[in-house]
Amino acid sequence: MRVNGLTKKAIHLLSAVVFLLLSWQVLSFILDTPVFPPPFAAFTSLFHSMNSDLMIHLKVSFYRIAVSLIIATIVGVPMGLWIGKNKRVDAISAPLIYLTYPVPKIVFLPVFLILMGIGNVSKIVMITLIVFYQILVTTRDAAKNLQKEYILSVRSLRANERDLYFHVYFPACLPAILTSLRLGLGTAMAVLFLVETYATREGIGFYIMDSWSSLAYEQMFAGIIAMGLMGFLIYLLLDACEKILCSWVNP
Amino acid sequence: MDYLSISSLQVDYNHQKKTNPALRNVNLSLPRGSIGAIIGPSGCGKSTLLSVLAGLNQDYKGQVLLNGKLPKETGEAALILQEYGLLPWKTVWDNVKLGLQIKGLSKTETADKVEQILNKLGLFSLRKRFPTQLSGGQRQRVAIARSLILQPELLLMDEPFSSLDALTREEMQDFLLQLWKETNLTILFITHNIEEAVFLGQKIFVMSECPGTIIREYVNPLAGEYSARGQLEFLEISNSLRSCLRGREKTCV
Repeated sequence: MRVNGLTKKAIHLLSAVVFLLLSWQVLSFILDTPVFPPPFAAFTSLFHSMNSDLMIHLKVSFYRIAVSLIIATIVGVPMGLWIGKNKRVDAISAPLIYLTYPVPKIVFLPVFLILMGIGNVSKIVMITLIVFYQILVTTRDAAKNLQKEYILSVRSLRANERDLYFHVYFPACLPAILTSLRLGLGTAMAVLFLVETYATREGIGFYIMDSWSSLAYEQMFAGIIAMGLMGFLIYLLLDACEKILCSWVNP
Repeated sequence: MDYLSISSLQVDYNHQKKTNPALRNVNLSLPRGSIGAIIGPSGCGKSTLLSVLAGLNQDYKGQVLLNGKLPKETGEAALILQEYGLLPWKTVWDNVKLGLQIKGLSKTETADKVEQILNKLGLFSLRKRFPTQLSGGQRQRVAIARSLILQPELLLMDEPFSSLDALTREEMQDFLLQLWKETNLTILFITHNIEEAVFLGQKIFVMSECPGTIIREYVNPLAGEYSARGQLEFLEISNSLRSCLRGREKTCV
């Protein structure tokens, strides 16, 4: 019997899940400590916690990460395209980006907490700023390296600047944008955890650290699984976007 | 009066505060509904000449007129680039409709015109494919469809068949000829292939390099004859053209 691509992918995914659970089980058995409970106990705790307050924390975290990714994309993509398209703007902005890009923005968290308060705003701005840089730089470089032939061919059809952005720059850079979003998601999840461990009583980061300090390790792992699943779901969403919007890459 | 007329054209490129001459004293004319071929060594400014005619390069000296008007004003020229210039992220349908979309035509009118041109060029069954899923010949047809849908008066082609194998190249030459006979377009194309220039070009312009200028103009009575390829006269013109090109070869400094 021939196995089609989708079934094959599902089998591979299932194999990876089984492998991870088995490794977890073995590690838990070797360590033999309540700090590292076996998967069954952690998933049982996750199931029970879902009906209590875990969902509330998960919703708050999802809101923070989703808003951050959306804002970073809305601001970063047009800016990256604009800089990449215009040599002069690139020449002016390059030193600024070059100097500020390597600075770890997370060090400004205390400043943001003081300036913007301990609510959602400071956390969202922190995550947005970090992801924004990744999107900006990737988009700019993709736009800069675009084959001149595409631009010339569309210009020969009497295209104006808006047409060039819409028909050439944006679609050509979309695969790179989605890749940077996927990479940015990993960073954003890490930053989310960190910002939720300070001056807040909401969010999955708080839930994990609160469980840890209460010595509720199974509950702590329920939080870790929930956070992992949230990241995985957003990743799948980005994957689906790529399949729909960039079907031309691997037709 | 000739449809296309160029006199004393001069184009320079500025690079790192240095002025490099690309074209000097180019004089060329082509009657409406005829095919002109430009042949010459690489880097002699042939593509620059086409970009001026397409209205993409307006930084020139001299006079360039299409139907008595400046290229930018007429909008009558369509340009097909060497690698066809198709956008890989658009399907055949979307590539072909692009010009009309930019023009702002209504969706129904655009769809009707795209369907019509795709059917005419035998591309309708390929409409959902992306350029990477097409052969070289099919891509060239799509590029031609994208230009023809705008109903241009002048079709400019930059080495249109250079990346095709010998057989497909001949098929495409025949196809272009047939298209020209049906539409009566004025066509000006660049080629490196001597036989192609003689087979298609009613007027053949030979260019020299650095800076590019037209050094000789052939009036070719054999152009457009399907049976011409094997004839003695065809070979004679080809050989004459070959000698002319060889005699003018020089190293660019």
